[in-house]
Amino acid sequence: MRTRDYKQSYGELVALIDSPPVWLWSVVLVLALIVAPYALNAYALSFLIIILITATGALGLNILTGYTGLISLGHVGFLLTGAYGYAVVVSKYGQSPLVGFLAAGIVPGMASLVVGAPSLRLKGLYLAITTLAFSFIINTVILEARWLTNGARGISVQRPEILGISFDSDAAFTHLCLVVAMLTLFATLNIRRSRVGRAFVAIRDNDTAARAMGINLHAYKLLAFVTSAFITGIAGALYGIYLSFVSVEGFPFLLSIEALAILIVGGLGSALGAVLGTILIVLLPEATRLVFSLFSTQLDATFTTGAQELKSMLYGLVIILFLRFEPRGLVGVWHDIRRTWVNWPLRY
Amino acid sequence: MQYFIQLVISGLAIGAIYGLIAMGFAVIYKSTGLVNFAQGEMTMIVAYIAWTVSTTVSGNVVIVSLAALLAAIFLGVVIERVVMRPMLGEPIFATVMVTIGLAVILRSSINFIWDAYPHGLDVGVGRDIVRLGGVGVRTGQIAVIVALLLLLAAIWAFFHYSKIGIAMRAVAADDRTALLMGISAPRIHALAWAASSVIAGIGGLFFALSYDLSPTMFQLGLKAFPATILGGLDAVLGSGVGGLLIGLTENLAGGYVGSGTKEVAGFAMIIVVLMVRPFGLFGERDIERV
Repeated sequence: MRTRDYKQSYGELVALIDSPPVWLWSVVLVLALIVAPYALNAYALSFLIIILITATGALGLNILTGYTGLISLGHVGFLLTGAYGYAVVVSKYGQSPLVGFLAAGIVPGMASLVVGAPSLRLKGLYLAITTLAFSFIINTVILEARWLTNGARGISVQRPEILGISFDSDAAFTHLCLVVAMLTLFATLNIRRSRVGRAFVAIRDNDTAARAMGINLHAYKLLAFVTSAFITGIAGALYGIYLSFVSVEGFPFLLSIEALAILIVGGLGSALGAVLGTILIVLLPEATRLVFSLFSTQLDATFTTGAQELKSMLYGLVIILFLRFEPRGLVGVWHDIRRTWVNWPLRY
Repeated sequence: MQYFIQLVISGLAIGAIYGLIAMGFAVIYKSTGLVNFAQGEMTMIVAYIAWTVSTTVSGNVVIVSLAALLAAIFLGVVIERVVMRPMLGEPIFATVMVTIGLAVILRSSINFIWDAYPHGLDVGVGRDIVRLGGVGVRTGQIAVIVALLLLLAAIWAFFHYSKIGIAMRAVAADDRTALLMGISAPRIHALAWAASSVIAGIGGLFFALSYDLSPTMFQLGLKAFPATILGGLDAVLGSGVGGLLIGLTENLAGGYVGSGTKEVAGFAMIIVVLMVRPFGLFGERDIERV
């Protein structure tokens, strides 16, 4: 019987894919995602794009909050600086989109050094509030630096053309997002398996003990900040391109909450969890709307008038319910299902 | 000089409101060890309830404030009982995230229960202007500063001399030992939530008296964060004073530097303070045992 519990070497333990069926299904999933833009209608495709972009951002936050255990309430600040990094370089100075994406990663990375450095002395809630403060300060800086960012008017962004390939159509843009999301997924999975990832997790579990084992806390915490901000910035650039307009209003504070909700719902500290959480959180408002519209048209109308409020209420509710009843998140549910499936009819 | 005094007084007035909400943060942190991210939202809801009472039942200032205080106690106890108590014993991160979830729910519920338009709480007091050394000041602004100072004194006495206050400090210091001493931690937590809701609710009431109610009022809670960080999360009195300092800084920065800096002066200030003293100005340094 295939229990997957019996590992003989460390290599087996950290293998990304540990059995042929998983290989098969992963390949099927990737192929399905490649074909999907041609099969789905425009409405469904917009959800797929949002899921891919959000998953990239959530994976970025996962490195900081999930792996390293540093709570960030200001991740929307990195999203915003990434989007502006891209928009300023490409739309304002007419550089190529590749340079733009590089800037979208580097600018938030630098910003994260600014917020990360004072945060080295802070712990837990004090850190969370500092990151919160950072995201508000970033908003004001962007609004005030009119010569660079056009202030409140924002910058409009075109769909890019990279290496001669135009990403103008929705299908092509989905493929771009898919590539970025896949690369991010592999990057985070590999970070988790490496020396760096083990250091991150050691810091999360007990930073004093990690320090005693010779992990340089300052260097690794800053590294976590920079990596996380870099990835989140790229997601921000993609989101800006998707909105075709970058402004402070396009990136409300709610996005920070949404990102944390994704991690909690999915399961903290797991890349798979971040992806599952993204799918649930992105589709949740739509799914709820569908369920309600089955019952009455009046409720449906409430949904269209107060869409934003209902969305945030749902986020709040999901956060509370998951923390209360399933703190391991969706990934915990998934492990239970898998174990039952493999071991049935035995319990263990 | 006139301009400076004007800025100082209005800064102290808004700072007193921040201070009240920050004290709400600190009371909960001191007895339960967590930061209540829904504090601003609770403040807002109490103010909205006061407004509803003033428009539907009676505009009498005593009735309105009594109703608001009762509502605040009720709100605090219900939140503790329904949302927070099941989370007892869970990791701090999870519990704090629950308050964030709660904040988001309360914030959007305003638009469903009430509406998105601004309202003025008119109970016939607080908006008259008094001349004070050549500067016009609203009575509501003076009242809130006085209220803050009175509450600071009352809370100091409460924590030092009353049995319940000492029990609260005991639970905060070590809830397991407190339990062994016969103190019911859940009851103390419920009390702390009620007290915090009332203190913050008073802040909300004064805000509604001098300014207008609107669904963005929860941002008062975000502004009160710097205040409580500045004073120290575990320092109730420090938080109150921190509020005054933040209000003052904000107004002076807004008046002399630019309106954009007004919004973030408080946040910039705490980043500087935390670099020097990571536990706040009046907070106690955490000693960690491994």
